[in-house]
Amino acid sequence: MAVETRPLEPAAPFAGALRTRLRRFGEISREVLRNPTTLIGLILIAAMIGMAIFAPLLIEPNTPNPYQMPRDWGAINEPPGTPGHILGTTQQGGDVLYGVIWGARTSLRLSLIVVSITVVIGLVVGSLAGFLGGKIDEFLMRLVDVFLSIPELIFALAIAAVLGPSFGNIILALAAVFWVKYARIIRGQVIHIKQNEYVDAARVIGDSKLRIYMKDVLPNSVTPVVVQATLDMGNVVLIGATLSFIGLAEAGLAEWGVLVSQGQAGISAGRWWASTFPGLMVFLWALAFNLVGDGLRDILDPRTEAKR
Amino acid sequence: MTLAPAPGPAGNAVATDSVASVVGLRIHFESKAGRVYAVDGVDFDIRDGETLGLVGETGCGKSVTARSFLRLVPMPPGIHAGGSVLFRPHQRCQHCSGAGCEVCEGTGRLPTSCSKCGGDGCPVCNGTGMETIDLSTLPEKNLREIRGDRIAMIFQDPAKALNPALTVRNQIAEVFYQHRTTDVLERAGLDTSPNPLLRRHVAQRSRLLERALLALPPLRSRRQKIEGVVDDMVAAALAETQIPNPIKVMERYPHELSGGMKQRVMIAQALACNPDLLIADEPTTALDVTVQARIIELIKQLQGRHKSAVLYISHDLSLVRRVCDRVAVMYAGRIVEVGTTEEIFANPLHPYTRGLLAAIPSRTHVRGQLVAIKGTVPELIEPPPSCRFVERCSYAVDVCAEIDPTLEGTEDGHEVACFIHNPPSVAAELPSFSRRTS
Repeated sequence: MAVETRPLEPAAPFAGALRTRLRRFGEISREVLRNPTTLIGLILIAAMIGMAIFAPLLIEPNTPNPYQMPRDWGAINEPPGTPGHILGTTQQGGDVLYGVIWGARTSLRLSLIVVSITVVIGLVVGSLAGFLGGKIDEFLMRLVDVFLSIPELIFALAIAAVLGPSFGNIILALAAVFWVKYARIIRGQVIHIKQNEYVDAARVIGDSKLRIYMKDVLPNSVTPVVVQATLDMGNVVLIGATLSFIGLAEAGLAEWGVLVSQGQAGISAGRWWASTFPGLMVFLWALAFNLVGDGLRDILDPRTEAKR
Repeated sequence: MTLAPAPGPAGNAVATDSVASVVGLRIHFESKAGRVYAVDGVDFDIRDGETLGLVGETGCGKSVTARSFLRLVPMPPGIHAGGSVLFRPHQRCQHCSGAGCEVCEGTGRLPTSCSKCGGDGCPVCNGTGMETIDLSTLPEKNLREIRGDRIAMIFQDPAKALNPALTVRNQIAEVFYQHRTTDVLERAGLDTSPNPLLRRHVAQRSRLLERALLALPPLRSRRQKIEGVVDDMVAAALAETQIPNPIKVMERYPHELSGGMKQRVMIAQALACNPDLLIADEPTTALDVTVQARIIELIKQLQGRHKSAVLYISHDLSLVRRVCDRVAVMYAGRIVEVGTTEEIFANPLHPYTRGLLAAIPSRTHVRGQLVAIKGTVPELIEPPPSCRFVERCSYAVDVCAEIDPTLEGTEDGHEVACFIHNPPSVAAELPSFSRRTS
């Protein structure tokens, strides 16, 4: 084997940066895999997101709108195990398996949209408040306080109820509730980070305020946001299911909360399946994201770094 | 403000060979307990190429003074209550474009003549004929051009002064991106006025869309060339600090480096643009003693090569003695004594300086016989108009409690603010100038 005499090829500047990035990613993933509960959460998430993505392959999509439950009026209240309806049917003849699989797609859509909207709003509001400070900070944070003073479920309920029952309005209602948390987290982080000496050091080399924010403050502030966003992927589905359970989604939507709501009338009559399977899915979804969120917090939190 | 402290020295005796002059600088802080006179009428010059030590105990205002050079003191709560920091920037030597030649005596820099009078001397440049900038009133945008390019700074704790999210390469490259845009393009063999896209890329101002464009084949090779040039510049800057294997260190994150290496990275970043003035705010306090010696040696060595002026802030007198050409002693927001290092250490004039020197432990000291200055540092909140040191001074006379002595030169540039050496000229109007009976 020929011995490589030059330590590193300086002609490939990108490779180096990419390598360091990959190295860090590798460290984190090894850490994740070492923690069994996080691993379980990850497997669950992978399975459920896989189910959501490949829903059309797993089960024939309903026409014209696949997000609507198919109705089989010939098979009402069938128990699990019925041919063609493995998990049984609801009292409107909806296939529970279809609801479970396409419900995952609905949930994924809901949580991704809500979390990305809220993270962006929270990032903007929190950064403005924290980085600029003064009167802007005061105003924005009082606004946040107003939002925080109302219990989140009741607030979401009120918004969804006023706007009328539809899936889009559930997204709006959840976004209106969830952004405040991010604004607070990011504001706190930005205020903390901007006191670091490396921010002064960046000013000393002539960086502009915007550049300092983008290069020094933001990248060092986002870690708790990643954790919170992961946790909220679960929370959003939980509260979303609650809202649709109460009846704030369109009737017949392939959504877990809607299915639980439809099935609950039959529980006393022994028809447990229509509520149980979608309910179980909500539980697993929230559990999985909470496990991963907690795991991420342990790994990314610099204070726990020493223990490793 | 009810009590007006004594003004700075009369006249504007500014040495022509000084790269920076602090003139009557006052920086106060508003606090709940009252106004803190952290820096209260500080005057000193930093001569071109010299190392000036600014010594004093914790809280005497030396860091605030240093930070006010680059306007890093947060305002509010800080208040710029008067005075100015004058800076005479050099320009890059045109004969060697910064590489060092006979004209610029190897420094790569030449003095800039005043833009107002062209070197004849006018009120703006204080008759020196050199471009003079008042850093305390300079607009933020122009100040940014000076920061990191003409004046650089090294911080106390390198572990805190490096962004943990950036590799060493990106950390140092930032200086080149901010100040050497044209240079980078030139070295990459590209037109210095190429399409704005590349120029913005070098200045790191690309928007998201532009970044996408830059990733496309027509611009990609040129962009990679630029990255390569910046890499070379970063590696050269690192190599100058004698860091082992700079190309490998470049791709490391700060947490992967030792304290000494981190400080070397800071130094590399600070000296990357060959500044006229380097402010070193206790650069070795956070380091091990063994590393300390090497970093000091490095700073000295690099200063010898670049001929940059250094403002060295420290409370370690033995260190200052080794490093500095001149020393300014600061006490409670004022300069009490300035002189060459030999003068200060051989012939300290101010009682405070004497006290400080007596407190340095040495081999000849008998155990348990370390001399301390009696009393404590006075509160800087609304100080009386007396000499700040009067309470602790064993030579204090009545006049010391009445007015504050100003900094006045004795022989050969040794200046001291003490009535022992400069009897008050207005003594006749004042109470008896006799030994206090306390």
